[in-house]
Amino acid sequence: MTQLVRQAIDEGYDADQILNEGLLAGMSVIGEKFKKNEVYVPEVLISARAMNAGASLLKPLLEASGAKAFGKVVIGTVKGDLHDIGKNLVHMMMEGKGLEVVDLGVDVPAEKFIEAAVSEGTQIIALSALLTTTMNEMKNVVDAVVEAGIRDKVVIMIGGAPVTEAFCQSIGADSYTPDCATAADEAIRFCQKLLASKFPSTNSS
Amino acid sequence: MDMTMKEWLSKIGLEGVRKPIPILSFPGIQILNIPLKEMINNSDLQSECMKVIAERYDTLASVSLMDLSVEVECFGSNIRFSDDEVPTVVGALVSNQEEIDALVIPPVGSFRTGVYIASLQKALIKVTDCPIFASVIGPFSLAGRLMNISKIMVNCMDEPEMIHALMEKTTQFIIDYSRAYKEIGAHGIVVAEPMAGLLSPGFHREFSMPYMKRITDELQDDNFLVVYHNCGPYTAQQAADIFSIGAKIYHFGNAIDLADVFFTGNVAPADHIKKGTVESTMEATKAVLKTCGRLPNFILSTGCDVPPMAPMANMDAFFAAASDYYNS
Repeated sequence: MTQLVRQAIDEGYDADQILNEGLLAGMSVIGEKFKKNEVYVPEVLISARAMNAGASLLKPLLEASGAKAFGKVVIGTVKGDLHDIGKNLVHMMMEGKGLEVVDLGVDVPAEKFIEAAVSEGTQIIALSALLTTTMNEMKNVVDAVVEAGIRDKVVIMIGGAPVTEAFCQSIGADSYTPDCATAADEAIRFCQKLLASKFPSTNSS
Repeated sequence: MDMTMKEWLSKIGLEGVRKPIPILSFPGIQILNIPLKEMINNSDLQSECMKVIAERYDTLASVSLMDLSVEVECFGSNIRFSDDEVPTVVGALVSNQEEIDALVIPPVGSFRTGVYIASLQKALIKVTDCPIFASVIGPFSLAGRLMNISKIMVNCMDEPEMIHALMEKTTQFIIDYSRAYKEIGAHGIVVAEPMAGLLSPGFHREFSMPYMKRITDELQDDNFLVVYHNCGPYTAQQAADIFSIGAKIYHFGNAIDLADVFFTGNVAPADHIKKGTVESTMEATKAVLKTCGRLPNFILSTGCDVPPMAPMANMDAFFAAASDYYNS
């Protein structure tokens, strides 16, 4: 992948074009195939690794040209939960859609999500949980977002094996998605809606 | 148990009302009002937990705690314990060929495996009206916990030989551990292989199925059954290879629609319908119906296509036996 990206750069292709029409377009294909069970978790991980390897070569060129990501997401597995495979897949698929993802890792307390959302100016907070006990922590994050006065400034997305649409509605989150590819599509949809409705960023600067 | 496990299985097929076998032991802490952290380190409490569950619920079999941290802890992994949630593995123990080569297969009885074996031994005394299956982790799921789930998935493609080296060690440990349960009188094992349920069919075929088959071939016999458990999301795509493992019972999550799968067969067309007699055909048909006739997912058939010159009288006998059975 790095060889091909270098070749494209050397041949004079615009960094933005290589990213969107090459790397992200490829990840989009992977996302659609994953939804249809034509590729599986290992293939998604390997594809994302290839994409990131290529993207790392483009990063300085994109920064120099002032190009920005389509949107920004803070993601993490909630406090008390150490599982990360679902979160990692969502992270990769969201980056594959052109979003910038700030990954807080696992066992993340509510306040850390809020701090990151404010300091990074993210539009979306994405929460993952794999256990029936830790999924309740998602409500704590929703409550913390309300208390921080930024509920109208961020979208809260949730996912994970025990999580359901009914649970999402019960805790006041905005969206539940059953898999990583759908989560990435939904995040894009929210960012597009944001642009359309001029949702203010949490970063006042 | 006053019958072999093979006889027990045959008997199930004949029963009109069939009791369930949920994977149910941990909630016993609510009945006993004890913290989980205490129970997983105490064989008396564990066996008592299985006893109170057996007293409360009429199940076909009892299953011990499905604690998928027990085996990986023996290899040296760090475990986080909780009062109300199953223990979790923290971090990875191996990441390259060198570390895998240096990994020592731990002795059975180390860390909490000793407690779990002792608790099952005590449960065999406390719960006597049904078989007891011991829960053990599957080989790929154990390997994934040792390496980290994301890393092992990528290494299945990048470094397959390295993963096979790790699988050899996890498989050997699971065989040794399961054999210890067999030796104390457990009626079988439930082998939990959920991480394999995340693999593509090709990777599952290479990195889980052959090792599961080895475990099954080593241990399963008329008195000791292997129950294969996989609640992963791709079991429907993996099904053909899963069934080649040879376990006697398959336990799936909701990724696979069980009502969608029917089994059909298997009166031998050459031996009976072509070369046999009316009487032998009727007996062979009745024998299949005796064990499978009442199963909801079963449809009587011949084992293969019927040869052109098979006596029609024998085919008449096949149908007569089916009619007698289903109309009686």
